[in-house]
Amino acid sequence: MDTGTKISAIAHVSLIGWALLGGTFRSEPLPMAVQEVSVVSVDQFDAMTAQRTAPEVPTPVALQPPEVPTEEVTPPAPVEEEQTPPEVVTPPEPEPDLVPDPVEAPPEPEVVDEAPTLDPPEPVTEVLPVAPGPEAQPRPADKVAPEPIAPPPPEAEPNEVETPAVSLDEGAETQQEQQDQTAPDEATDEIVTEAEETKENAPRTSPRPRERPNRPAPPAQTEVAEEQESTPPTQVDESAVEDALAEALQESSEPSGPPLTSGEKDAMRLAVSQCWNVGSLSTDALQTVVVVGFSLTPDGKVVGGTLRMIDSSGGTDASAKQAYEAARRAILRCGAKGYTLPADKYAQWKDIEITFNPERMRIK
Amino acid sequence: MMRFLTSLLLGLTILTAPVNAQDGPLRLELDQGIIEPLPFAVPNFVPDSAAAAQYANDISRVVAADLTGTGLFREISSDAFISRVSSFDAPVQFADWKAINADALVTGAVNVSGNRLTVRFRVWDVFSGQELGNGLQFAGTTEGWRRMAHKVSDQVYSRITGEGGYFDSRVAFVSESGPKDQRLKRLAIMDYDGANVQYLTDSAAIVLAPRFSPTGDRLLYTSYETGQPRIYVLDVDRVRRTELNTPGGTMSFSPRFSPDGRSIVYSLIQGGNTDLWKMDLASGQSVRLTNTPAIETAPSYSPDGSQIVFESDRSGTPQLYIMPANGGEATRISFGQGRYGTPVWSPRGDLIAFTKQNKGRFHIGVMRTDGSEERLLTSSFLDEGPTWSPNGRVIMFTRETQGASGRATLYSVDISGRNLRPVRTPDGGSDPSWGPLQN
Repeated sequence: MDTGTKISAIAHVSLIGWALLGGTFRSEPLPMAVQEVSVVSVDQFDAMTAQRTAPEVPTPVALQPPEVPTEEVTPPAPVEEEQTPPEVVTPPEPEPDLVPDPVEAPPEPEVVDEAPTLDPPEPVTEVLPVAPGPEAQPRPADKVAPEPIAPPPPEAEPNEVETPAVSLDEGAETQQEQQDQTAPDEATDEIVTEAEETKENAPRTSPRPRERPNRPAPPAQTEVAEEQESTPPTQVDESAVEDALAEALQESSEPSGPPLTSGEKDAMRLAVSQCWNVGSLSTDALQTVVVVGFSLTPDGKVVGGTLRMIDSSGGTDASAKQAYEAARRAILRCGAKGYTLPADKYAQWKDIEITFNPERMRIK
Repeated sequence: MMRFLTSLLLGLTILTAPVNAQDGPLRLELDQGIIEPLPFAVPNFVPDSAAAAQYANDISRVVAADLTGTGLFREISSDAFISRVSSFDAPVQFADWKAINADALVTGAVNVSGNRLTVRFRVWDVFSGQELGNGLQFAGTTEGWRRMAHKVSDQVYSRITGEGGYFDSRVAFVSESGPKDQRLKRLAIMDYDGANVQYLTDSAAIVLAPRFSPTGDRLLYTSYETGQPRIYVLDVDRVRRTELNTPGGTMSFSPRFSPDGRSIVYSLIQGGNTDLWKMDLASGQSVRLTNTPAIETAPSYSPDGSQIVFESDRSGTPQLYIMPANGGEATRISFGQGRYGTPVWSPRGDLIAFTKQNKGRFHIGVMRTDGSEERLLTSSFLDEGPTWSPNGRVIMFTRETQGASGRATLYSVDISGRNLRPVRTPDGGSDPSWGPLQN
């Protein structure tokens, strides 16, 4: 008999023995529900039934009006003051040196009087050639209203008529039907399409680790060490630390990264050149090289007011002006939706200078 | 804890310090762009009254046609407009014009009071949201609405391109009607775009080669009235002509004014030899400029009046030469294959336009004043007689089709060789002379 059989036999015998002798089938008393019964008298019974039929007497409670969640229902102020629609500006002041009436020889008096109307009307829609900065970024909403309406509270359903939230109050004299809070649809005064992505508040990337820096110069190190030692820990103001941390984090939200590769530079060059239309330039302007500087936001849009002519060569002031205007059109037009540049290298392309050299575009 | 925070702070400071360091702005160089018409929009000018509505519509259409006709601009159809301009002084909704990719926007208003017409306009660079130049107002009579529209176009053109316009100008030409063997020729004048044609002579005699004076008030032309070609000067406004007193008994032709308008240079045939002469208009005295046995003709002054370019076959074939304005040694400037003729100095002074005949084809071309950088702009069965637009950007010329039913038509072409297009005239047209911008 091999070992397996032995083990099997022993196991079977043990099992059978345990089944027979081990009290497997011992029954235990089932848990029994015991109801205690007390005997009551007829009087007691009557008293009990009388109590049930008696009208309920409400506990007198000072009725509080249903709490109106004012802070939730009142439409908050527009998200951005800057985004309110511009007001109509009164006609501008007359411009004294306006060229009057070049057709007829002597300008008639009334022509001069009319001149004021020719002053440039203040462009009311203060035109930002680029998207507004983060603080002025409108919230995306697909409804356009003369006045922006803040987004409803998260628990509120959009509804044309704004209704405060009402909940059941047991103590209320008149019981209102419970209703959810509603708010008008969110609206803005500007359409922001999906293409014009809203700016994220958080940095999209963290700074890349830089190349291993050279070993810090020893004096600097000692200075740090000394500073560290000489500053008693008790003097560290916690708020200052937080401020500094916030500042440091903010600064680090402008990632630097390595310099742009030649491919990335070429892509940027190509992006601008697609809009650099010299077809309408004079032959003089086609002889003029201009250098144009501008700044970009992290999402690649031109920062308003940063476009400027840094230098020009090869032409008159007038031709440089035309050449600059063509360059400006190119930068603004092709950058209307933001240039695609590596976000992790923002510091490398935050400021750009482009030399527009029309030498190869001249009429030949 | 504090020590930890301090360490963290220092660590972050050290970490971020070099991150902010950069070596100035990113520098790029562009040497390749695109050459295409600049898209612009001209919403109908705003009329101040019902009487002005038609003028407002017509003027904005002429402005759009002027700009489109240059080949440098492309009009965006009003069907694409998102916003309407209902008030001249209302702020421009640049976003709406950006959305339809208009680079330039022209807004205007028209006021009519009796027969007095006033046009106001502004030019906007849409993508920068800035006005190009200042708003301007033209006033005139309702009959002159077309000229006022051209004046607006000239301003728009020069503000965008940086060079002067040419729309408010006139062209003198020979109007041709009838079959080729019995062609009737009349001297005519018209707006640059073919509108407002007026006839200055009847068709009794053959007329040739009108040439505007620098101020546009007079025309030189050649007429066969006496049976022989003679030069006449015509006062354009009064339509009164005077025969020039060239040395008697000879044929004179191919005249052209000097830039100061005081003298003319022309060809004179004496004893079978054609030479260049110059006449002082005040005294009527002529002096000889060339004296060779060859045929010298088609003289044209440089804009500064110091030199004359002309055609001569002294080398055996017609070629182009330049000489001092008072005569002297001539320098040949054309050396390509074929025959060169009818040279015209550009008003800018940098180029000379010419007719070239080579291998059975005619071309209009341009070259530098030293003969370099020759470029042929056209090619056809017969192209000839170039004339420059006032700004030196466009050349108008005659194109004649082949065969007995061949017809002469005026054409214009940009000096880049692009935008070749016919100029509409009631009948056929030849020998154009482009006048200066009108005042």
